[in-house]
Amino acid sequence: MAVVELSGVHKIYGTGPDPVAALDGVDLRIDAGEYVAITGTSGSGKSTLMHIVGCLDTPTSGSVMIAGEDISSARTDRLARLRNRSIGFVFQSFNLLPRLDVQKNIELPLVYSGVTARDRRNRAREAAEKVNLTTRLTHRPSELSGGQCQRVAIARALVNDPALILADEPTGNLDSTNGAEVLRLFDELHASGRTIVLVTHDPAVAARAGRRVELRDGRVIRDGRT
Amino acid sequence: MSWFAGLLIGLQEIREHKFRSFLTMLGVILGVASLLAMFGLTAGIASSWRTTMQQMGGLERIGVIDAEVSLELADLAALSPGRTLADAEALRASSRFISHVSPEMQTGATLSATDGATITGRITGAWPDNLVVSQHEVQSGRFITPLDVERGSRVVVLGSTAARDLWPSEPEADRVGRTITINGRPFTVAGILVHYQREEDRQRNLRRGSTSPGSQRGGSVSLAGGRGMGGARRDPFQWKNNSIIVPLTTFYHEFRSGTEDAAPLAMAKIDQLNFRVRDLSHFREALDEASSVLRQAHRGIDDYGFDTREDWFDRMETSLRATQLSGGLIAGVSLLVGGIGIANIMLASIAQRVRELGVRLAVGARRRDIFLQILAESTVIGVLGGFLGLGAGVLLLKLLGAIAPMDNPPVVELSAILISVGFATVVGVLSGLYPAWRASNLDPISALRYE
Repeated sequence: MAVVELSGVHKIYGTGPDPVAALDGVDLRIDAGEYVAITGTSGSGKSTLMHIVGCLDTPTSGSVMIAGEDISSARTDRLARLRNRSIGFVFQSFNLLPRLDVQKNIELPLVYSGVTARDRRNRAREAAEKVNLTTRLTHRPSELSGGQCQRVAIARALVNDPALILADEPTGNLDSTNGAEVLRLFDELHASGRTIVLVTHDPAVAARAGRRVELRDGRVIRDGRT
Repeated sequence: MSWFAGLLIGLQEIREHKFRSFLTMLGVILGVASLLAMFGLTAGIASSWRTTMQQMGGLERIGVIDAEVSLELADLAALSPGRTLADAEALRASSRFISHVSPEMQTGATLSATDGATITGRITGAWPDNLVVSQHEVQSGRFITPLDVERGSRVVVLGSTAARDLWPSEPEADRVGRTITINGRPFTVAGILVHYQREEDRQRNLRRGSTSPGSQRGGSVSLAGGRGMGGARRDPFQWKNNSIIVPLTTFYHEFRSGTEDAAPLAMAKIDQLNFRVRDLSHFREALDEASSVLRQAHRGIDDYGFDTREDWFDRMETSLRATQLSGGLIAGVSLLVGGIGIANIMLASIAQRVRELGVRLAVGARRRDIFLQILAESTVIGVLGGFLGLGAGVLLLKLLGAIAPMDNPPVVELSAILISVGFATVVGVLSGLYPAWRASNLDPISALRYE
């Protein structure tokens, strides 16, 4: 079953005489349970692709199906609901809320899906268990190491049991030890059946995924097993 | 996300930035404080004025007064007997719109209690209706009765201050039934009137556990009565508390007849003539009725007029409105400034939190969630500022009272509290609208990239 299905996707920025095509006809299908790395140099369009797959943006033309829903022309509230239910983001700079403790940070997506306080607590705890952070629930992000912060972020991405985990350079801000640990965590999640899309420019990181999609100038120039 | 969740986030933000939030609230605090103080002061004035008004007989009381005779009747002025007891009888007889009639005769006299002191005072000869027209209330014993008037009984009803002055050594004793002499003639005390005081004074005395009338800090009725200016600390109802009332017939026989012109009782001059309107909605009709009755009794000479409280009432209302309006204007400007302050800080705080808002959007917050969060935050600031402003307002009133003791102690009414906090809440909501709109229109991608 396809979690992500893009066909003929164009994304054009700017109007007038000199528009820039960030995506120039992308076809991409990612099935449930796949672990895909999207690579490319800066300006290749991989960020734009990630935004569209992550329901943060919609294409100028072409069709986009995420978790079975057509978002090509979805309105902001529907996009928000899809981000909330079907996608778990992991960012390079963690993007935790500094004034909330670990528990509350992990709960954040549940706040917006109308889960009761008690359920939020339980599910946040379960997610924290998956990333081995149960002892740090009352700490604030500033009291954690970078690796721990990224594990909190991964727990937050998992808490709503999304169809797709979307990681944008998740090891970019980490030293090699912590980076390796985060990648091991992704391996585990993949092994347990999660669908993971990882955006990176690092070939070593991309090599961990089972499939690699390379972009250049807004087109897929390579798609195959690593 | 619910409103409640938004409120929690708002509270959290305020806790994180206590000082900033306090500064933000300051405008609202000052606005609410001045609003409350203004309400308190005007309510205080209005309250003591209403009490005074009530004690004087209210709007229903109308006085018959002497008036200039009009020019064309000037030659005939001597034909009119003036205000006599016959007027009172006539008014009482035609009582469609008039419920009570109270003629009064007055004179100065010396009173002395055999087992107490000797005082001088002003004694009043009255009818039983005086109880209602002058809004008297009996503390113990009884008031003048029709039988007293019929028989010319030697009974007297004393005001609380007069009674205390007669027996200064036993302030709490019951004086009903005792004998005093008025200008050397023995009278039995039939009743004692209650001690008249303003509601605030009564409550203050209750708190102190004191019922002694002399110990109260009475104010003047400067605004209410247009007298006692200068804030003299005295009993505002001194004139009532010093009442010494005897039956009108007794008064006439004991103190009037035998004097130089000694008119028969029916034609005896009276010093005051007041009556009470049965129903305020027929005020005009009552005046017309009284006027026609009096014209007949005065043989067509218009040497009488009416003293009503209406003009007084209107003047008072107007000046209260003016005070409220100007006070409200100042408070309103202050609240407006407070609202602008909140909006300003909210915009700054949003700029500081673009990244956070981006994260919230990324994990599934809808625009309306962000909108509610920011709106809840500004509302919390407004409401909190409102409550702090209440405290500040009460302090301000206490401070004003300490610096310049007031004749009309301020009254903080529930409605004033609700209005003040209500305004603060509205200011909080309104000032959050634009920042909330700005925040909810953030683009999640650029918000996430924002450094």
